[in-house]
Formats: sequence, structure tokens, C-alpha cells
Amino acid sequence: MKNSNMNKIFSVLCSILIFCGTAFAVEDDFVNKTLAQKAIERPQYLENYNFEDTTAIPIKLSIASEVDSEKDLYEGQILEFITVERVKYDGKTLIRKGTPVTARVETIIANGMNGIPASVIIGNFNIPGIESSRLTAEYEKYGFDLSLLVFPLKWALTPLPPTGSLTNFIKGGHVKLKPDNIITIYYHPNWL
Amino acid sequence: MFLLKNEQKLFCHSVFIDNFIQNNNYANINFESLVILKKSMKMIKNILIIMAALCLFQNISAAIENTPEQINSIQTRIDSIGFDILNRNKIPQRIVFVYDEQDKKNILTSDKTLTKRQVVIYDEMYKSAESDDELAAMIAREISLAIRSFDGVCNGFLRSIQVKAAPKKFEIVADKRAVDFMVNAGYDPVALIIYIQKTAPQQRFDMISNHNLTSKRLAVIYEYIYTKYPYFLKNNKYINNKYYQNFLLTSASNRKMLEEKIRTNSNEKLKYE
Repeated sequence: MKNSNMNKIFSVLCSILIFCGTAFAVEDDFVNKTLAQKAIERPQYLENYNFEDTTAIPIKLSIASEVDSEKDLYEGQILEFITVERVKYDGKTLIRKGTPVTARVETIIANGMNGIPASVIIGNFNIPGIESSRLTAEYEKYGFDLSLLVFPLKWALTPLPPTGSLTNFIKGGHVKLKPDNIITIYYHPNWL
Repeated sequence: MFLLKNEQKLFCHSVFIDNFIQNNNYANINFESLVILKKSMKMIKNILIIMAALCLFQNISAAIENTPEQINSIQTRIDSIGFDILNRNKIPQRIVFVYDEQDKKNILTSDKTLTKRQVVIYDEMYKSAESDDELAAMIAREISLAIRSFDGVCNGFLRSIQVKAAPKKFEIVADKRAVDFMVNAGYDPVALIIYIQKTAPQQRFDMISNHNLTSKRLAVIYEYIYTKYPYFLKNNKYINNKYYQNFLLTSASNRKMLEEKIRTNSNEKLKYE
């Protein structure tokens, strides 16, 4: 009799513990509130690949309007470019001059001390009629690099402390993308 | 029979000690001191035997831990995931991966990621990677740093110095790039949060440190995934993972800041704690 009572108590305690375990799981309310209603597709990835072919066709692009990494850009932003010249392959026109191209700002690296420049990584290029998987993955644009000047200066001033450390405060340049800057990406027509 | 044997032994010992005294002419050494000497010699012998046995046991256990087959299978797993990330991200630079049995990186050794473009996975890092997603997270972070050592002045030498000179900045860059590389290679980027949550300790402050606060890194990664790859948060396969739950528990204030930023449609850079 006592044993059966003990078993009951034990099973009740176990069920309380299991219930508590699930009740304490934290829900990501923020995601539930903001993303639940949106239809979002899984990002595609290159499942199969074959890089045997060496043909690479350059595509020259320029940005539609000037941007500055200091104030205009944020990660995930879509930038608009246009093709600078006609792109031909196998005697046929692949892309006409002035075709609009979109790309995404992947990562922004802020400028830093010791003359380290800012940089912007642009990817996910989207050209009408061209498979994105056959394009160069990314393009990185750097700001003005002062570190080549700062590092030797710092080392030269090291025997006179703390003058060497003062060079830490020299900052590198921001990235400026202007319509006259030409960006070249490559199209690999025979890649899988 | 047993008594007889003992008596014989005692007799032999006394004969040996007598001979020793006579032969060496140590008349002044008494019998007791010789017995003590003999006992201590025996004790030293026993200690040496125990030590040898311990050494042997240690060697055997080490051999059991690191059989060539096991090392080969770990290396193969690392290579497979590493090269998947390189190929699926169309990374045109040569990077190799090496599993090192050493527990952790020696402080004085150079960073092979930047000098040799060789991603070294130490045992301390590897043992925390439970799933392929987590291992991919670890490798993708290193790849993102290795890539930076290729371009620029002196075949990337200057960029390598920049990475070493600004470790805090490039720590965040590596985290963000790792998310991109993982997504492009078909891995779940939420695993990066889990991997860091499990392995990186939380410092008191990061003002004068070479590293960011881990909570700050995690919040930045969360925001990055939320902004660029919300699919993985909406369909979060790790939502019931205990480490991810611990991240949610410990990141409430940072996530609140992000919620406010999203609500107000702001592009301002958040100052996570």
C-alpha cells in the first residue's frame, strides 16, 4: 500500500518537473512578433558546382548615384548600378549598355585607427537574363589606406615615447562610390 | 613449510649483511642502520616501479585518445566542411585546413591563418563543435580572416598587419562574414550563435581589451541574421536547443534594443552591452 502511494507521489513529482522544464523554455517573442506574418524564402546556395571552364567575361558597372560608407550605407541595402558597356559572348550581345543591375551591401567595415581604411563588400549581383550563380561572388571597395604611412611612422617614433602611440589616432578613409568609379565583375558562362 | 622458508630468508639476509660488514670493513656501521638502508632502497625501488607503471598508463591512454584513424576521420570532416564553404562561396584563394591535437594555440606562435593561409583547428575548439553547422561556423570565421591576407600591398602583408592591429574590429567582421559563408554553403548560421555561446567567456569590460564582449558579438550576429537572413530565425531549428535558449535568456536587453530599432525603422548602429 505504502509502495503504491510512493509511486503515485513520485509520478506526480516527475510530471511537475517535466511540465516546469517545458514551461521555462524562452520564446523568441521579438521574432514571433516581427517575422511571423512575413513570407520568407530560404536563401539559395550553390549545391552543385563545376569550375572546370576558364572562360570569364568582364562586366563593367558604375553606381547610379554616389554613396558614402560614413552616412549613406547600411548592411543589407540594395544598391543600383548600370552596365558601362555592352557585354558580348560568342558573337551575341549578352547585356546591353545601360542595363540596370542591383547588388546588396553585404558587410561594411568601418575605418579605424592606425590608418586602417573602411571597406564595403558588395555581393548578390542581379543582372536581368544572367544566372547569379555564374557571376563573381563579391566585390570589395576600400577607402583611402593610410596604414602604409602610419605603421613605419609609428615604428620610427617608438624610441621617443609616447609620440609613436599618437599615430594610433590617424584614421583611414571612408569608402566613396561615385558614378565614375568602374567596378568589374566576371561572368562565367559555363560554370554549373 | 612457510615458516621454514621465512627462516631461510632471514638466515640468508643475516649472512649477506655479515659478509657485507666483513668484506667492506665497516665495523663502525651497526646492524640497525644497514637494515634501514635496505628498507629505504626497497621503498625507492617500489616508487620507481609505480612511476614507471603510471607513465606507461599515461602513454597507453594517450594512444587510445589519438589513434591515427580517429585523427584521420576528424581531419576528413574538417576538410569536407572547409572545402564546401570555399567552393560554394566561390572563394578563389587557396586555403588549407589542419587539425592540431594541441589543446589550444600557443600565445607565442604566429597566426597561421594570416601567415600561411592555413586554418588550424585546435582540439579545444573542435571538442565544442557538436554538429556540422557548428564546425562550419568555426571554420567559416577563420576563412574570412584568411581571405583578408591575400589582397593589397605586398601580397596581403599589409592587410594581415591591419587584422592583427585591430583585432576587435576584425573579430566582428569575421563573425559577420562567417554568417554569409555559412548561408551560401547551405549551413544554418544560428549555429554560430550557439558555438560562441558555448565557448567564448564573458569579460567584465572591453574598453581596453583586444576582444569585444561576447554578449555584444552575439547581439551583432543576431541582428545580422535578422536583417539579411530572417528565414533562419523564423524557421529556427535550434529554438529548443538548450544553448540557444541560454542565449535568449542572456540577451534579452540587447534584443529589446534591436526590437526598438526595427520598430522605429532606424538605421542607427546600436551600442550593445
